[in-house]
Amino acid sequence: MIMESKDLYSDIYDLVVKCCRDISPDVKRIIENAIEKESSPTARSMMQAMLDDVKLAQEKDKPLCQSPGFPAVYITFGDKVRPGNIKELFAKALVTATKNGYMRPSMVHPLTRKNPGDNSGERVPNFEFDYIPEQEFLDIILSFKGCGAELGNAMKVFTTAQLGKDYSGLKRFVLETVTKAGGVPCPPIALGIGIGGQMDVACRLSRRAVSTRRWDDTNPDCLYASLESELLQAINRLGIGPAGTGGDTTALAVKIEGSATHTAIAPVAINFHCWTARRAGIRIYPDGKREEIL
Amino acid sequence: MDKVLETPLTADDINGLKIGDVVYLKGIICTSRDMAHLTIKDKLEKSEALPVDFHGAAVFHAGPVVTKNDAGWELRVIGPTSSIRMEPYAEMVGKLGVKAIIGKGGMRESSLRAFQKYGQVYLQAAPGCAALLADGIEAIQEVHWFDLGMPEALWVLKAKKFGPLVVAMDSRGNSMYEDIRTKAVKMIDTLYRSA
Repeated sequence: MIMESKDLYSDIYDLVVKCCRDISPDVKRIIENAIEKESSPTARSMMQAMLDDVKLAQEKDKPLCQSPGFPAVYITFGDKVRPGNIKELFAKALVTATKNGYMRPSMVHPLTRKNPGDNSGERVPNFEFDYIPEQEFLDIILSFKGCGAELGNAMKVFTTAQLGKDYSGLKRFVLETVTKAGGVPCPPIALGIGIGGQMDVACRLSRRAVSTRRWDDTNPDCLYASLESELLQAINRLGIGPAGTGGDTTALAVKIEGSATHTAIAPVAINFHCWTARRAGIRIYPDGKREEIL
Repeated sequence: MDKVLETPLTADDINGLKIGDVVYLKGIICTSRDMAHLTIKDKLEKSEALPVDFHGAAVFHAGPVVTKNDAGWELRVIGPTSSIRMEPYAEMVGKLGVKAIIGKGGMRESSLRAFQKYGQVYLQAAPGCAALLADGIEAIQEVHWFDLGMPEALWVLKAKKFGPLVVAMDSRGNSMYEDIRTKAVKMIDTLYRSA
């Protein structure tokens, strides 16, 4: 079955509006828990302001942040349900949501900086398609990632020697990158780390890791799971805190995705996500049944 | 009682602030991001007039979401953008007479120097809290340079009680961000010794 645009458009528009107005429930819970454990009163009040902001956005039917960030869409499909003209539908939904005041027009030409005024633009949103022939359903995940966060991102192609004993070189690179970014990426942050492949693969994986996974999940890979947990604890000892004005809560999650790489290299990409986890997903079955995912 | 400062801000207002103070603003707040700063610079170089008087002003690094209806512009939400991008304009902004800069993430050495020279402070707003912050704005008074696009235009806002804002850099050379960064760098060495 190829999805017809008339069936799919309202689903897509709803995903867009949902992402503008709300953060993922798993992240709300992580912030609530962090407030209870946080020792700095300023940090507690910053995080409370964040939760209050999300609540106010719902009540007043407004976007929770002025910046929509950059939208990325992750699609997994098989032979049973195909996505059809989903690219056009997303582009249209973004423009409509912008006109309706859910998004600021933030997409501009990369050099001239000209703003068309409606969040339309070449390669907007960014799409990743995964084709799994036998998969019976269609998965659509939309993620808006703030671009203040993007200013902190870093990428390095390590050598085996530079990775260090127990990957201490990699760990220092992560902590130094977080420290350098300080309050710029709107902490408490989440970090996506892509390891392996070549430069482009590591970068793509870093965005996917932090944008498509729940921030309270556990990596099925034991090595990555233990690295995620160790790095999260280490980052939270840096003292940067919410808004970068100090505290125990600098990061809410660290998510790693890996890929095999060449024996000469170890590419590592670090991708910041601000606290506003604007991600939503939907699963569509061949009989038309819909299910929220994430 | 919340501390509320009213614009235009005076030297006394600024000298009375110390790192960690929480304040609110009442009065006029002007937004300026990358393109508005660049436009100001161009105009100054050509000795052209600026559309607003920046003496005692509060400049907000932000681009709002606005809608237009029959009554005029309506503010939907507004929140801080990353101030570090405006670091190259520190001296120019100080010279203009701007007293308070509102943003997120803080600024660096050039700004700290300008803050001491011109008596300015940096106020950190809660990042990403655009619905909450918009609640403190009464109205959009005017807009300049709209051709730069909605985020980059210079919006003149009337605030009733805008905040909360944390004093994160003062006019005496102190920066909360620098202190935090220095401690974090030491912590990295404690956790993972340099190879």
